[in-house]
Amino acid sequence: MLFKDQVDFVSQHIKKNKLRVFMTVLAATMGCAFLIVLASIGFGIQDTMRKEILEDQAITEVEVYTNNGEALDISQISEVEHVNAIVHRTSMDIMAVSQLDERSLEGNMLLTNFVEEEKSNLQLSEGRMPTKENEIVVGYQFAENLLTDAERKEMEKITEEDAEPIGGYKESLIGKTISMSMQSYEMDEAFPEKWDFTIVGVTEKPARDWFVDTNMLVDESWKDKFQEVYEANAGNENPDLFYSSTKIYTSSLEHVKSVTEELKEMGYSVYSVSEQLEQLDVFFMAFKIGLIFVGTIAVLIASIGIFNTMTMAVTERTREIGVMKAIGASPKLIQRLFLMESAWIGIIGTVLAVIISYAVSFLANWILPMVVGAALGEDEFQDLSMTFSLIPWQLVVIASVISISVAMISGWRPARKATKIDVIHALRQEL
Amino acid sequence: MIQVQNVNHTFLIGKKGKEKKVPVLKGLTFEVEKGEVVAIVGKSGSGKSTLLHTIAGFMSPEQGSIIVNGQETVHLNETERAKFRLNNFGFIFQNFQLMPRLTAFENIELPLKLKGIAAKKRKTSVQLLLKKVGLEEVADHYPNELSGGQQQRVSIARALITNPPILFADEPTGSLDSETEQDILLLIQDLNQTMGVTFVIITHDEEVANIAHRKFRMHDGELVKGDTSNVI
Ligand SMILES: Nc1ncnc2c1ncn2[C@@H]1O[C@H](COP(=O)(O)OP(=O)(O)OP(=O)(O)O)[C@@H](O)[C@H]1O
Ligand SMILES: [Mg+2]
Repeated sequence: MLFKDQVDFVSQHIKKNKLRVFMTVLAATMGCAFLIVLASIGFGIQDTMRKEILEDQAITEVEVYTNNGEALDISQISEVEHVNAIVHRTSMDIMAVSQLDERSLEGNMLLTNFVEEEKSNLQLSEGRMPTKENEIVVGYQFAENLLTDAERKEMEKITEEDAEPIGGYKESLIGKTISMSMQSYEMDEAFPEKWDFTIVGVTEKPARDWFVDTNMLVDESWKDKFQEVYEANAGNENPDLFYSSTKIYTSSLEHVKSVTEELKEMGYSVYSVSEQLEQLDVFFMAFKIGLIFVGTIAVLIASIGIFNTMTMAVTERTREIGVMKAIGASPKLIQRLFLMESAWIGIIGTVLAVIISYAVSFLANWILPMVVGAALGEDEFQDLSMTFSLIPWQLVVIASVISISVAMISGWRPARKATKIDVIHALRQEL
Repeated sequence: MIQVQNVNHTFLIGKKGKEKKVPVLKGLTFEVEKGEVVAIVGKSGSGKSTLLHTIAGFMSPEQGSIIVNGQETVHLNETERAKFRLNNFGFIFQNFQLMPRLTAFENIELPLKLKGIAAKKRKTSVQLLLKKVGLEEVADHYPNELSGGQQQRVSIARALITNPPILFADEPTGSLDSETEQDILLLIQDLNQTMGVTFVIITHDEEVANIAHRKFRMHDGELVKGDTSNVI
């Protein structure tokens, strides 16, 4: 029998039993849609958390440190493929007091190599990277925290958390020269030594809203000088004066994983976004499998309907099947025709389920944020861009495979039964 | 064309555990020549239908061999038998056995569909045959919109559409009045003469048996010797 004729044959049967087939398709649709929507919650939450992670930090960043406090072998690391930049920042356990006219700021100083910073793609909101020793880059909130004494007093009075900063330096800092001195945390006065630095760049706004960046980035060639001054003034050596962190930047996100793994093999402790994502993925893989499993139960319940419908179809057509066999239809063909019918129910059910699921998912993502927003208070919710339900094509494929195979498996026994029909017995049936 | 050799069959009847053995076919041996019309007559329960079912491959006899067109059919599996029937046999039943949800045209077309013949080709052959059996007018009718005689013509057309060398008919006129019966018998004779189709007809109606070249009489699962007379 030609495939087209088989399809015709099956569709003719379906048309003759519209209502019954419709109800069965409906059950299959509901089962499959339930599966997709349920699993889409897992995909949605995972997506939200992934985005959160990727937004929060430089995604090509890999943090490395040695387990025993020894120095890193920079030359070895730089040979790893796809390593773009190795940024070795050193912070000092000391306050850096900056003075601009009558304004001042107590902040942190970070010693770094600007060539590597540039390679790592350090983004500036203003200005350029330093090229000379006495040029520096300051944090995004540096200007607004440069306060006069009067402003500082005013600020201390305000206890409200979200209050707008009062005062601060309103003009561009680019080209301005600040005078910097160091002050130990234990002392009330700054050391007498002062250095002039010219601000040539301002960093980008930090990704996290609550993060206040008032750091100053200074060329690492100053390290020895600062240490000398510290020892002269403090009168002792501080082994913890410098604290270094090394961050490696890969050329793109896709290489983070390979670089992370290679560094691990070298025996370093490594922390990167890929590590975090991997843990997240492992957790959500289990979570999604669980959801799909629960959803599959709904599909299985729907399959009982398919089994019933097909069994009835076979029983009803016993005589016709007998005639077909008598005039030369092979058992294989009979089986195929019935399997096609149950597959048809499964396929139509799945297609409808996919359409419905996308609609439900869309509505959920539209309405739920409003509901949650109203419950939490509008303001707090504005920043949260949550995906409640996400249906990637993989989920559609998984659900389709489950639902269509379950439909075909439940149609299997009735189809087998059809092939076993005895011709003589069937022909004897009443018309 | 058909060689039946020493065919035996026993049915088990009754409740499980207390079955009774009922021998239905007892060592049947006969031959049917190509182009012959053969009638098998006998009392009800003598085993006529069972014999036909074994030759047609609807069931296997316990013993014996059946050779059709040079092919031993007893040991074929279900799929092979179905294919063999499709290519070699046509069937005419007492109660027509048409597909209720197919029109006369579609019923006749069905064996061609099973053979995998394309729609265009099917249409021409069915139309040709419809004309031959005189059913052009009612091609689009469903079986329940046809008279008994028309239904039997449809079923004959369905049996003939694949040009099988052998046609089996089990009480072909059993459900028809005598006038319609005459029409059908004339049609059978015509098909036999013009197309050379071999017919094996089961009947207990003498009129039907009279159109046969040879008559086999069955009694209690055996052929009654001496009654294989040539009629025509
Ligand atoms: N499936 C079966 N199981 C058990 N016994 C059967 C079966 N089919 C037929 N028989 C028995 O076999 C015998 C022959 O039956 P068969 O149908 O061949 O007779 P027949 O000659 O065709 O009769 P009729 O002229 O009434 O159609 C009968 O006694 C019947 O009871
Ligand atoms: Mg009979």
